[in-house]
Amino acid sequence: MSIKRRTVLTGSAAGVVSLTSGLAAPAIAQSDPIRIGYLPALTGPSSSTGVGINRGVQLGIDEINAAGGVNGRKLELIVRDTQSEPTKAVNAVAELTQRQKVGVIFGPVNSGEALAATPLIARDKVAMLHPCWVDELIDVKKYPMAFRIAPTNTQVGGGANFYVADVLKLKKAAVISDTTGYGTASVNTYVPMLKAKGVEVVYQGHVDAANPDLKPDMLRMQSAGAQVIMPWSVNAGFLSRILNTRGAMGWDVPVVGQTTLGSGQTKALLEKPENWNKVYSNNFRNCCYENGKLPARAQEFVDRLKKSKIEMGDTLLWWIALGWDGAQMMAQTFKAAGTKSDEIVAYWNKVKDWPGVYGTVTWTPEQHNGFPDREVVMCEVNSLKDGAFNLAPGYSS
Amino acid sequence: MFQSIISYGLAVGAVYALIGITYNVMFSASRVFSFTAGMLGMLGGVLGALFITEWGLPAIVGLVLVLACGAVLGIVTEIVTVRPVLKSIDQHLYVLSTLAFALMIQQLTAIWWGTDARPFPRLIPVGAGWLDQQFWLPMLACAVTIVGLELLYRKTLIGRAFLAIAEDSYAARALGLPETGLRMASYALAGMIGALAGFSGAEILLAFMGNQAILNFYGFVPVALGGMGSNRGAVIGGLALGVFQQAANFLVGGIFAAVAVFAVFIVVLLLRPEGLAGASAARRV
Amino acid sequence: MTDATASAPAAGASWLGKLEGKVSWILLGVAGLLLPLLDDSYIGVIAQRAYIYWVLSAGLNLVVGYAGQIAIGWVSMLTLGAYTTAALTAGTATEPWHPYLALIAGGVVGAVAGLVVGLPALRLRTFYFAMTTLGFATIVTQVALAWKSVTGGGVGTPGPVFPWPFDPGWGFYYFCFILAALATWMTANIASSRFGRALVAIRDAEVAAEASGIAKPKLLMAVFLFAGALGGVAGGLFSSLQSYITPDAFTFEISVLFFIAILIGGRGSILGPALGTIILTALPEFAAPLVQWSTFLYAALLLVIVLVIPGGIADLLDYKNRRPLEQHREIAPRQELLGRLLDKSDAKHTIALKDIALHFGGVRAIDGLDLEIRSGEVQGLIGPNGSGKTTTLNVISGYYAPKSGTLMLDGRSLPFGQPHLRARYRIARTFQTPRLVGAASVLENVMIGGTVHGHASFAEATLALPRNRRDEKLLHEAAMQALATVGLENLAGVRADRLQHSELRFMEIARALMLRPAFLMLDEPAAGLSPEEIRRLGSLIKAISREGTGVLLVEHHADLIFDICDHVTVLNLGKVLAAGTPNEIRSHREVVSAYLGA
Repeated sequence: MSIKRRTVLTGSAAGVVSLTSGLAAPAIAQSDPIRIGYLPALTGPSSSTGVGINRGVQLGIDEINAAGGVNGRKLELIVRDTQSEPTKAVNAVAELTQRQKVGVIFGPVNSGEALAATPLIARDKVAMLHPCWVDELIDVKKYPMAFRIAPTNTQVGGGANFYVADVLKLKKAAVISDTTGYGTASVNTYVPMLKAKGVEVVYQGHVDAANPDLKPDMLRMQSAGAQVIMPWSVNAGFLSRILNTRGAMGWDVPVVGQTTLGSGQTKALLEKPENWNKVYSNNFRNCCYENGKLPARAQEFVDRLKKSKIEMGDTLLWWIALGWDGAQMMAQTFKAAGTKSDEIVAYWNKVKDWPGVYGTVTWTPEQHNGFPDREVVMCEVNSLKDGAFNLAPGYSS
Repeated sequence: MFQSIISYGLAVGAVYALIGITYNVMFSASRVFSFTAGMLGMLGGVLGALFITEWGLPAIVGLVLVLACGAVLGIVTEIVTVRPVLKSIDQHLYVLSTLAFALMIQQLTAIWWGTDARPFPRLIPVGAGWLDQQFWLPMLACAVTIVGLELLYRKTLIGRAFLAIAEDSYAARALGLPETGLRMASYALAGMIGALAGFSGAEILLAFMGNQAILNFYGFVPVALGGMGSNRGAVIGGLALGVFQQAANFLVGGIFAAVAVFAVFIVVLLLRPEGLAGASAARRV
Repeated sequence: MTDATASAPAAGASWLGKLEGKVSWILLGVAGLLLPLLDDSYIGVIAQRAYIYWVLSAGLNLVVGYAGQIAIGWVSMLTLGAYTTAALTAGTATEPWHPYLALIAGGVVGAVAGLVVGLPALRLRTFYFAMTTLGFATIVTQVALAWKSVTGGGVGTPGPVFPWPFDPGWGFYYFCFILAALATWMTANIASSRFGRALVAIRDAEVAAEASGIAKPKLLMAVFLFAGALGGVAGGLFSSLQSYITPDAFTFEISVLFFIAILIGGRGSILGPALGTIILTALPEFAAPLVQWSTFLYAALLLVIVLVIPGGIADLLDYKNRRPLEQHREIAPRQELLGRLLDKSDAKHTIALKDIALHFGGVRAIDGLDLEIRSGEVQGLIGPNGSGKTTTLNVISGYYAPKSGTLMLDGRSLPFGQPHLRARYRIARTFQTPRLVGAASVLENVMIGGTVHGHASFAEATLALPRNRRDEKLLHEAAMQALATVGLENLAGVRADRLQHSELRFMEIARALMLRPAFLMLDEPAAGLSPEEIRRLGSLIKAISREGTGVLLVEHHADLIFDICDHVTVLNLGKVLAAGTPNEIRSHREVVSAYLGA
C-alpha cells in the first residue's frame, strides 16, 4: 500500500522560462532521443494515482515531441512499472541508472518504492524529480540531486490541520488511519502538529483496512467529543466505511483528510450520496474551483486536455496536472541547461516561482521541497466536475 | 457498543462459519483441506456485484447464478486439483494443487475485476441499525445452510451416501456407492456454500479480491477449533470467532485484534491439535 | 571394502542432496564469479537478489523439499532478519552495531524464529502447519508496523551499508555470492548426510523412519533452526540491497515465490530449487509485458508441476535414471556375507509378550496373547486375515500401546508406544507394504536403516567435519554389504521407485539388517514373490537367525513357515489357537480344520 503525489510545471511553455538554448549541445548524439527514467506504479494494489499521473506525463511528452522535441531531439520515456512493489523498484533503478544511463528519473510514485529507490539513485548520482509526498525523500545533504515538485506529507497534513484549526476553528479532533506505512506515518506526524496548533486530539488510532466494522472506533471518537474526523488512508474501502458509519450513526461531524476521500472509488462505495456531505479532502489551489471558476492556468490546461480527448471522468485533475508538470519541467530543463545530471541539478537549484498547473515551484540549494504551503487546501468532495472540486468553504481568497 | 459487538460479530462470524462448513464438506468427501474455500467466498461477493450491479440482473437471478458458478468451480476444483492427487494423499500434494488453483483464480480476479474493493448492492431494504440486512443476511444464510445440510444428511438417500463416504470411503465403495460421483457432488455443494458465504457477507466485506486470504484463514480457524468435519463445531467456532474478534476490536483495537486472533489460534492448536471438540486420529501403520 | 562390494557400481549411487550434476554447479559458480566482468550493475542487482533469495530458499528447501513441511509463510524470516540487521545497525533499539555483527544477529533471530514457527509442525497436520506459518508472517508484519520506535513503522528504516571489503556494488555482490555458495555447500552437506536421508524418510516413509530410530522432533527442530538462520541472514542482506525497508516490501508474493521455486525445482534436490529461484527472480525482469500476470503464471506452473511432473526440474535433469534397467534381473542373496554384517555373538536375548490385549473401538484386535522371540530362532506367526498378526508386530515395534499385558526384553519392560526408541534395542522390522523413499537410490534407502549408528552431530554434518565423513563411509560400506547380502548390489544406484515389488521386499530386509538387529520382524516378506524367490528368501531368513538374530516371521505361505520356523504360533480372532514346533502345528486338529484347510 502506498501513496503517491505529484507536482507539475506550468503548462504554458511560453511562460517565464523560455530561455534560449544554452551551451552548444555535445557533438555526439545530437539527434539521439533524450532518455528520461520513469518509475510509475501502473499495476498493483495502489495504482490508480499512478495511472492518472501517467496520462499527464504521456500527454506532456507527446506534445513536446509533436512540437519537434527539445533542440531537435525527441524525448524518450524509459518506463519501468514498479507494480507497487519496492523490490521491483530497486531492480528498475539499477536498470535505469546503470544500463540505460538516464540523466534524470521521474518517480517513483508510491512511498515504499520511493524510499527504497532514492538512496540508490543518489548513490548513482542521477538527478531525481519526486512526485511522491514522503518527507524523508528530500534531504539536501543525503540526496543532493533529488527535488520535489509536489508537497510533502507535512505540508499536506498541515493544510488539513490549518483548515480544522484556523478555518473551521474546531478544538477537538479524532485522527484515524489504516495500518499501512502511509497511514501510520501520517498520524504520527500530524498529531503533534495539531496539538501545536492548540487542537486537542481526543482519539488517535490505526485500524486494519480489512476490518469490516469501524463502529467501535467511531463510537470511541464520538464519546470522546470529537468535533472533526481526520482520516489518513488511500484505501477507498476504509474511507467509505468511515463515511457510511458516520451516516448510519446520524453523526453530523465534518470529515477532513486524505485526497482519496474524494475519489470515484470512495463515492461508489457509499451507501447513500448524502454520506459524502461535509467531507473535505486535500487538494491544491490551482486545481480547485473558486466561485465556480478554475484559475486561468488550470482552465487553459483543462481546455487542452479536452482538445486531446484525455479521459477525465475516472481520475483527478491534479493527478494529470502533476504528471504533465513533471514532463514540462524536465523538457524545459533540458532546453535551458542540458541533459546531464549535474547540469540539471545546477539549473533546478535556481528555479523560482515556476508556474506549474499543479503548483508554483521554487527551489534553492538549501531547500529542494518546491511546493508552497498556501497552495495546499481542502475541497468539497461532493462537488466533483471534470476531475476538480470546489474549494472548501471558509477560505479567504 | 455491546449491541454492535453482537450484531457485527455474529454477522461476520456467520460468514466464517459458512467458510468453515465449506472446508468441512470438501474434507468429508475427500480427506482434503482445500485452499479454495476462501476463494469461493471471495468470488461470491465479486460475482454477486458483477451480476447485480454491473449487469443489472435481479437479485434472485444473481444469487442463483452465483451459486451455479460456485458449483461449477467446486466441480472444477475436484477434477483438476483433488482427484489427480488423491492416490498419494499421504504426500499432501493437495495443499499445493489447491493453493495453486486458488491463487490463479485470485489473480484473474485481480486483473479483470481490479484490486480495489467495490460495493455490493443492498438487496432487501428491510431493517435499520443493528437489524440491518447486512447483519441478518449472513446469519440467515448460515441457518439455512446448516438446517439444509442436516435434512440432506439425515433424510435423503444421497445425504446418507455422503455420510457413508465420510465415515469410510473403502467400505462405501465396497457397497457399490459411486464414490467419484459423490465426491464431485460434495465439491459442488461446497462450492455453493462457499459462494453463498461470500454473497451474504459481501455488503460488509465488499466485493474485494483481498477477501480470499482473510476468509481462508478466518474460515479455517473455526474448523481447527471445532474439530475437522464437524459442522456444528464450525458454526459455534465461527460465531465465537466473529464475536471475539469484534470484542477485541472494541477493547484493544487496531493491530492487536489481529494479533490476538492469531495468537489464540496457535496456542489452542498447540495444546489441542485435534481441536477443542475433536477426537485424536488413529495411527497409520 | 571387500571383494563382494568393491566391484559394485557404488560411485554416484546417491540421488539426494549430493551436488547432483557437479558440472552444473561449476558452471553456475564460474558464471557467478565472472559476472562482474560484464560491468552491468543492473544484471548485478538481479543476480544479488537471486543469491539472497537463494540463501533463504536453500534453508527452506530442507524444510519443504526434504522434510516435506508446507511452510508457506517463510517470508517472516526474511522480515525478521531484515529488521534486526537494519535496526541494530541504525541503533534504534541499542547502541549502533557494526553491520557485520548485526547481520549475524539477524541470523540468530531468524534461527530462534524458525524454531518457534517450526514447533507446531511437530504436532500439527500439514494444512494446519501451513496456516500457522501464514499467521506468523502476518503477525511479524503487523509488529513491524506497530513498533515504530525500532522499525520506523510504516515509514520504514534504512538498510545497513556494509563497509569494505563488501561495500555496495561488486563488493556486496561477492558477499552475496559467497554466502549463497556457503548456503549451498552447507545444505548439500546436510542433505547428503544421514540427517538428509532421515528428512526424506520422514517425508515419504515416516513409519519406516521411526522404525529406523529417527527422532522426528529433534531432527525437525535442528532443520528449522538452520533454515531460520539462513532466512535471517538473507533478510539482513535483503535490507542492504533494498537500501530502505518498509513492511510493504515483505509481501505474500515473495513468500510464494520462495515456496514455488523449491517445488518447481523438485523435492529432494538442491540444484533444481537453485535453478528455480534464479528463474523466478530473473524472469519478471525480462518478461516485462507479463508483469501483472507473473503471480498467475507462478501458480499455473505450480499446478502443472504438482500434477504432471511432481519431480520438478531435478527430475527433468535426471537423465541417468531414464536409462532402462536390465529386464530379467535375478535376486541372488549371498548369505555367506551375513557374518560381516551382523555381530555374531552368543548372547541370548528374548522378547516376551504376556497377556497382551488391544482394542480398536469395540473390536478386540488382540485378546490375551503370549509370544516369545528368542535369539537364533525363527518364530512363525500365522493366522487368517484379521487375526491380529500385524497388530502384534505393531505392538512390539511400539506403534500400538496395548490396553493390558506386559512386553519384556530380557526380563526388562519395553515401554509401549515410542516406535523410534526400538532401534536402540536393535529391534528391526519390515512392512507389509514396503515403505520406501521412492526418489532416493536403493543405497540411500538402505543407509536410512543405519541412522542410529552415526556419531556426528547435525552441526558436524553441516560443515562436513571428519566425524561425519567417517559416519558416511561406514554407513556406505555397511549398506553395500547389506545389499550384497540380499543380492541387490547391482541396483544400488537406481531410484528405489524403479524396482520391482520383489526387489523392494529384499531392499527392506537390507535396510533392517543395517541395524545389526538382535531381533528382526518380517511382515509377510514372501507376498508377491515367485516360488524360487521364496526359496531364496527362506534360506536367507534361516541364515540370519543362525547368526544369532531372533526372527519373527508373519506369513501366509504355510510352506515357508513350516520350512524355516523353529516355533510357530497360530492366531485366530486375536487369541492363540495353537503354538509349537512346525510338526506339532501341522498335526494340530483345530489348526488344520480352521486354517490350513485341506
